[in-house]
Amino acid sequence: MDILGGQRDVSRATQRTAQQTRAIDYRSRGKFYQRMSLLWTYVVLIIMSTVVLAPFLWLITSSLKSEFQYYAIPIQWIPQPFTWSNYVEVFTQYNFFHYIFNSVWLAVYSVIAVTFVSAFVAYGFARFRFPGRTAMFILLLGTMMIPGQVLIISLYTIFRNFGWIDTFLPIIVPKLFGDAFSIFLLRQFFMGLPRELDEAARIDGCSNFRIFWNIILPQAKPVLIVVAVFAFLNSWSDAWGPLIYLSSDSNRTVPLGLLAFTNPYKAVDPQLMAATLIALVVPVVLYAFGQRYIDSGVAIAEAK
Amino acid sequence: MITSSSRDKAGGLTLTPKTQKGPSFFTRLRRSQGFAGYLFISPWLLGFLVFGLYPLLSTFYNSFTRYNLFSDPEWVGLKNYQGIFTKDPVFATTSQHMLIYVIISTIISICGGMVLALLLNKKFPGNHIFRTIFYVPSLLVGVAIGLLFKQLFGSGENGLANEFLGLFHIGPFNWLGDSGRPYLAVIALILVNVWFMGGTMLIFLAGLKGISATYYEAARIDGAGKWSTFWGVTLPLLSPVVVFNTILTLIGHLKVFETPLVFAAAQGAVGSNPGNPLGLHNGLSTYLLYIYVRGFVYNEFGYASALAVVFFGVTLALTLVVLTASKRFTYYAGESDN
Repeated sequence: MDILGGQRDVSRATQRTAQQTRAIDYRSRGKFYQRMSLLWTYVVLIIMSTVVLAPFLWLITSSLKSEFQYYAIPIQWIPQPFTWSNYVEVFTQYNFFHYIFNSVWLAVYSVIAVTFVSAFVAYGFARFRFPGRTAMFILLLGTMMIPGQVLIISLYTIFRNFGWIDTFLPIIVPKLFGDAFSIFLLRQFFMGLPRELDEAARIDGCSNFRIFWNIILPQAKPVLIVVAVFAFLNSWSDAWGPLIYLSSDSNRTVPLGLLAFTNPYKAVDPQLMAATLIALVVPVVLYAFGQRYIDSGVAIAEAK
Repeated sequence: MITSSSRDKAGGLTLTPKTQKGPSFFTRLRRSQGFAGYLFISPWLLGFLVFGLYPLLSTFYNSFTRYNLFSDPEWVGLKNYQGIFTKDPVFATTSQHMLIYVIISTIISICGGMVLALLLNKKFPGNHIFRTIFYVPSLLVGVAIGLLFKQLFGSGENGLANEFLGLFHIGPFNWLGDSGRPYLAVIALILVNVWFMGGTMLIFLAGLKGISATYYEAARIDGAGKWSTFWGVTLPLLSPVVVFNTILTLIGHLKVFETPLVFAAAQGAVGSNPGNPLGLHNGLSTYLLYIYVRGFVYNEFGYASALAVVFFGVTLALTLVVLTASKRFTYYAGESDN
């Protein structure tokens, strides 16, 4: 974009006229051009969608195949016969009812504990001015950077000293203290809420907690749902904690159940795929439920 | 809740002689806010001190010891670190893998996410369906999805990946079990990221929405074509989002654990013979996996702690590198960020 010299000026002027001409051409051919561009967009998207969806289609069909058909070359996409017994076996022979039960109640607990405590803490960060507030908040953000795995060895030692290994306590207790990302999301949202309602309630004599509970929380439904959904997903797919802290079969959660899925007498890949499908369906269903809220939640987090 | 204990009977501002420890109204207000504030954040603070700071310091301490959990840790100074950097071929292999994996995966995630976001930024029928198709897989993390992809990259011709490549007459690969070419395993690991571009896509979409249409108008009036609009307008305005996304993705990829764990483990590994948990010829060794193996399989907690410290250092360093490098490229559209 440098204007270098007189000669350049002239040619730029002619260029601009040419561009203007092209622009007029562009506008008259505009619809065609737009349609082509849209067509190309569709083509690319459809190709990429096929690639992305293929493994999941394969998952569904494979889970219903018999063991013989599973290994057939080339891949046959329609199971013959539909081996529903795979799913039955998953529950009867591989103890999946139990694993699912463990995973579910851990996840539900996680949702309640994390959502409530994170909101509680976020309210403190959002609505109160106190010395060290900024420092604390930066500390909070910093903890998001530390991978939990760096701490795992010391945490294991601590829990072992408490005698908590092979119980659910090492997983349950830390959730009572909130989750950094959730706190961050909620704090951003709370800060966006107008203070007038707070102040009105305060004048009416509400304590801080009641303001939190009766005023702020109801307004925060979208973010709370996002936090809840993510808390559930994190708990459901968490293999790290259970892998380290839980050892006996009765304490296993779904990810561990999948890792331990084996049969010494035969290859059980189809059944494993059935179990995998079950494990994957839950997040999908949850997403379908919380979708609107997740989209807006990411936007809120982005606008930091 | 503390009720005010001030002796301020007159109410409002009173000039109290310093004989009585009566706080002024504002001090009291400030104090009560502070108390309430700390009260509300105390759960997090407590949790941080007990489950965050203390283990962090403890890990740091443990890294200088030899510790196998059954006896007390014994101090060995820098021996662990020495071992890591000079005598540990697995660490070298792991570092190589991590470098390749993190860089290539991040490039795939960011570029792929950006392409998808650009494509999905216009309104057209079916937009939402595509967005869902690309986003939902990225929500699926953990062991289950790792198992799915392990099957996908199965050796022989009935693995989906091999069948797909077979369409182009590219021979079947033994992705996870080829002892002659153990690098195939890392390639498989990298390729898995192709399915998970939805997360970065969503963040880029949100960022794209934030670019006001007037910029595009101006570009169009100036006669800019699609490509120059992208380079000259979209990308610079999107650069803070790109940085944010890159750091997030980078750290996420550094923490990869479940997928290599699943790829490397023999079926049913938990509870029975695990084989080499790092994959054939350590082909799938990643930092977290290595820390886990050294600590919980070989019970060398001191060494594993040292590895963890090194890993943390690497994460920090990489983040700082990206942050400082990006300062040259980011362009804040006239607003005062930070």
